[in-house]
Amino acid sequence: MMMTPELALILSLAIPAIGALGIAVTGARPNLREAVTLLTAGALFAVVLWLLQHHLEGGVATLTVLNLLPNLPIAFTVEPLGLVFALVASGLWIVTSVYSIGYMRGNDEANQTRFYVCFAIALASAVGIAFAGNMLTLFLFYEILTISTYPLVAHKETPEAKAGARIYLGILLTTSILFLLTALIWTWFEAGTLNFRLGGILAGQIEGPAVAILFALYMFGIGKAALLPFHGWLPAAMVAPTPVSALLHAVAVVKAGVFTVLKVAVYIFGVDFLAESGAADWLLWVAAFTLIATSVIAVTKDNLKARLAYSTVSQLAYVTLGVGLATSMGIVGGTMQIVAHALGKITLFMCAGAIYVATHKTEISQMRGLGRLMPFTFGAFLLGSFSIIGLPPTGGAWSKWYLVMGAADTSQLVMIGVLMGSSLLAIAYLIPVVARGFFLPLSDQEDRPQPPGYEISTIRWSEMREAPIWCVVPPCLTAVLSVLVYFAAPTIAAFISPIVGQ
Amino acid sequence: MTHYLILRVIAKLMVGPIMLFALYVQFHGDFGPGGGFQAGVIFAAALILYGLVFDLTALRRFASLELLCSVMALGWLLYVGVGFATMLLGGRFLDYDFLAADPVAGQHIGILLIELGVGITVAATMLIIFEVYAGRKIATEGEDDA
Amino acid sequence: MIAALKAHLPILLVAVPLFAAPLCALFRHPLFAWTVSMLVTAAAFAGSLCLLAMVMAGGPLSYYLGGWAPPWGIEFRLDAVNAIILVIVAGVGAVTMAYARASVGQEISRAAQPLFYTAMLLCLAGLMGVAATGDAFNLFVFLEISSLSSYVIIAMGAERDKRALTSAYTYLMMGTIGATFYVIGIGLIYTVTGTLNMADMAARIGELEQTRTIPVAFAFILVGLALKLAMYPLHLWLPNAYTYAPTVVTAFLAATSTKVAGYASLRFIYTVFAADFAFEERTLLFLFLPLGLVAMFASSAVAIFQSDVKRLLAYSSIAQVGYMVLGVSYGNVTGLSATILHLFNHALMKGGLFLAVGCVIFRTGSHSIDAFRGLGRQMPWTMAAFVIGGLALIGLPATVGFVSKWYLVLGAFERGWWPVALLIVASSLLAVIYIWRVVEIAYLQPAPAGVAVKEAPLSLLLPCWVLILACVVFGVYADPTVTIAETAAQSLFFDPGAGLPPMDGP
Repeated sequence: MMMTPELALILSLAIPAIGALGIAVTGARPNLREAVTLLTAGALFAVVLWLLQHHLEGGVATLTVLNLLPNLPIAFTVEPLGLVFALVASGLWIVTSVYSIGYMRGNDEANQTRFYVCFAIALASAVGIAFAGNMLTLFLFYEILTISTYPLVAHKETPEAKAGARIYLGILLTTSILFLLTALIWTWFEAGTLNFRLGGILAGQIEGPAVAILFALYMFGIGKAALLPFHGWLPAAMVAPTPVSALLHAVAVVKAGVFTVLKVAVYIFGVDFLAESGAADWLLWVAAFTLIATSVIAVTKDNLKARLAYSTVSQLAYVTLGVGLATSMGIVGGTMQIVAHALGKITLFMCAGAIYVATHKTEISQMRGLGRLMPFTFGAFLLGSFSIIGLPPTGGAWSKWYLVMGAADTSQLVMIGVLMGSSLLAIAYLIPVVARGFFLPLSDQEDRPQPPGYEISTIRWSEMREAPIWCVVPPCLTAVLSVLVYFAAPTIAAFISPIVGQ
Repeated sequence: MTHYLILRVIAKLMVGPIMLFALYVQFHGDFGPGGGFQAGVIFAAALILYGLVFDLTALRRFASLELLCSVMALGWLLYVGVGFATMLLGGRFLDYDFLAADPVAGQHIGILLIELGVGITVAATMLIIFEVYAGRKIATEGEDDA
Repeated sequence: MIAALKAHLPILLVAVPLFAAPLCALFRHPLFAWTVSMLVTAAAFAGSLCLLAMVMAGGPLSYYLGGWAPPWGIEFRLDAVNAIILVIVAGVGAVTMAYARASVGQEISRAAQPLFYTAMLLCLAGLMGVAATGDAFNLFVFLEISSLSSYVIIAMGAERDKRALTSAYTYLMMGTIGATFYVIGIGLIYTVTGTLNMADMAARIGELEQTRTIPVAFAFILVGLALKLAMYPLHLWLPNAYTYAPTVVTAFLAATSTKVAGYASLRFIYTVFAADFAFEERTLLFLFLPLGLVAMFASSAVAIFQSDVKRLLAYSSIAQVGYMVLGVSYGNVTGLSATILHLFNHALMKGGLFLAVGCVIFRTGSHSIDAFRGLGRQMPWTMAAFVIGGLALIGLPATVGFVSKWYLVLGAFERGWWPVALLIVASSLLAVIYIWRVVEIAYLQPAPAGVAVKEAPLSLLLPCWVLILACVVFGVYADPTVTIAETAAQSLFFDPGAGLPPMDGP
């Protein structure tokens, strides 16, 4: 059978859905089940790659399924922004799957089948979001993503897990139904369409303060972008197992949020319309505040995962800030940030998980000297930190570069300061983890008399206590990838430049 | 009630005429005031009087709940059946014109049948209500036994 | 033959259940009664679909009973509005009847079962009659047929819980008051217009609007129907009645009886009294808007604190009626289509939800929220159905609830009432809370030790899933339902149906 763009689009949605079914059916046999997961992830990635290639060759892939409401179909379109997101999500799914297998088995978690099924459904909805051809389709998959990740957050079924999952679901559903749905219907009412169109659909349909209000409904409605004050679900969701955190923070959920933010800015409002109407000005300040405030909170957290969670909130605000700049550089920077942050943060989370699997430690203060026992994990953590901070040679450097350029373009000098300040804060909350790991003695070493000439900061192979290999290889891989992104950045920028009119 | 001789005798005498009056009301409904509803109630009143005076078990001997239930259903079927008959004969639902060759005769037949159905159902239903209420004590005793 | 069937279809939909009901009472055999009921409801469903197709293709139909042409005789008048209501009633009737075999078998003693089916069919016939008739007094008769039989079937829950008796009694009292008010209203109109045919009334009322009688009649009719509709604050009979009735009855009534009462109110507001009379001169919106909003919030809030799932869903129903009332209050076509759409959509989701709860009752014997502990794993299909139904109630996309909400909010925007739009979406968040309470208990609490609960049998699951899947199908592909609802709203608004020639007799 020849691969057509329509078929590829259907497959990209169907593969994870069928995979979920397959996982459910093979649940009784773990090895087979895991094989299905990996196979599905691989197949999905291949299909997305095919779509990428098709797109690069100049092909257009669209698919209209059926009319959900009269004149309002469920439709899919492949465009550069969506491809980037789909690539990130499907690519990292493979890595996360490998890692999950190691983690879930290493920790002997219960309900593994449910976990993998929900994971696959979440991925299907992420792909749906990525390729959505109109806002209604996007909203549809956005909500499916929320619901399908709920069981993942509540995975442990402890009272804390339940409370966390409640907050997770509560905030995401509240914002999406209360604001996003209202914004959607308002847009439909004003513009008579919800199709994504380059340059936006709202220009000329709506004016005055209403633009800013509608824009605010969108921005706060996309709770997955975790703009202050609707960021609480991310720290709350930290109760979940680490692969879930990876899914939330890197693969699908928050990325879906900021991706939607970008989509709305580029295809619903249009960057030019945003810039002209000044509707996004306020967003800059909210984003800047989110950025700094949550970085400061992150510094105060001792729990590694909580610290990373607040770091995510702050890093997401970079994307929103890029949108708030309402300039092409801002959009490019935002897109780069999606990629760079995904790779960086997934590395950090998988490292945190590996540490937990190997030592059952969750607090940073307990992690003294662990770096020498787990050099690979901590090495990967260091590279991931670089990317989050924005140091070369990691992808994060580029996204920050574009954002600063965008801020300079629009003469937002304060924003340049904010971006720089936040990077400094990132150093403050990430580097100590690594430094403690490598340079401080192990907690139980202090009292013990050491033989003469014993260097505590030397790595001794004989003392290494790494997590299972399934948990160590994936973070190392993503760490390497985030370095590679540094070199691939100009290509990515060129790839998405058509949508910002460069 | 076994000692109230006057009551028993009068009741026995009354039951027949009441029934006859019920039938009069039933079939006179075609020409004057009356009809199935009134006739049904009057007819049932006769039997209820019998039941009051001669005990419920005596009434149930020939008008058991099961029987009454079936009779009620039959009356009801007669009504709806006429409606279907008119449709089968080529008219609309309850269009009596089609029940006979002559529309006027058809109207007569139709209204008589319909009212008969109503009368039967109403009488049966009245009796059912009476028997169920009057028999409540018996029913609960039966439950206690079980 | 087919042509004859088609020509008599409006009356057949009512007459066939009316004919089958005494058969069940005559041959008192449970299996026979169920088979007859099943066949009849399935046929009624097919017939109602056929009728809907006819109406959508060829416009309104009129059929009259006996040899008396309207406005003297009883007329059955069908347009898109009542056709869709007939589909709801017959469709839900067929599904719940399929479900009844096992459920009624367990909940009602063998001896009473045939009579149960008799009353059930009678109720169905009454509801279909209310929906189909174009005669105001005939509507009252059918309303009473359906009400009286529904008191009976609700009271039949007494075999499991004696409280069903008092609930049925309360409903009887309230329902009778409602019916009396209605008939008083009709009487008043009759005194000034001399007619009982709705279309004829509509034509005559125009000249008489300024008299005192007409507004008084309007008020009586509206309050009477609002009682049957369980419109806040006239809803007090509903929670108990739904809680203690047998499962099948709850599902059937929740999905149909309030819908039919809602339809009747629409018919009077728009067709008989005309929209501008109701809204502009009698300022109905100032009554409906606040009552709808209060219902949405107050009843949802009460639902949150229920410890009985059936009662929880019952309160949710009152809140959902609030949405319908709200849609009417807009006084525009979009709002009205949202109401009609929600009549249909809510029937699907509430029916499905009550049937899912019924599966739980079947296995655990209880509908308290505690009985749901750990059922996520023990009854996966049942609980999955409950979750999907619950999501529809919340109004998430890809479910019917979303479609209703979309049009409700859109109507609010058209009216320029954006705070109302926000309130609508906000109230659906309350649904998140009460649904999620159940979901959390079912999935995240361990089952009580030593109690093994099996999944419900297929004969229960299938009907339940038919409704639940319909929730999804009409949520993903709402094109047909929206089109029908919009046609219905248009016909209510702009075409009082005057001058429609009666359907040709055979």
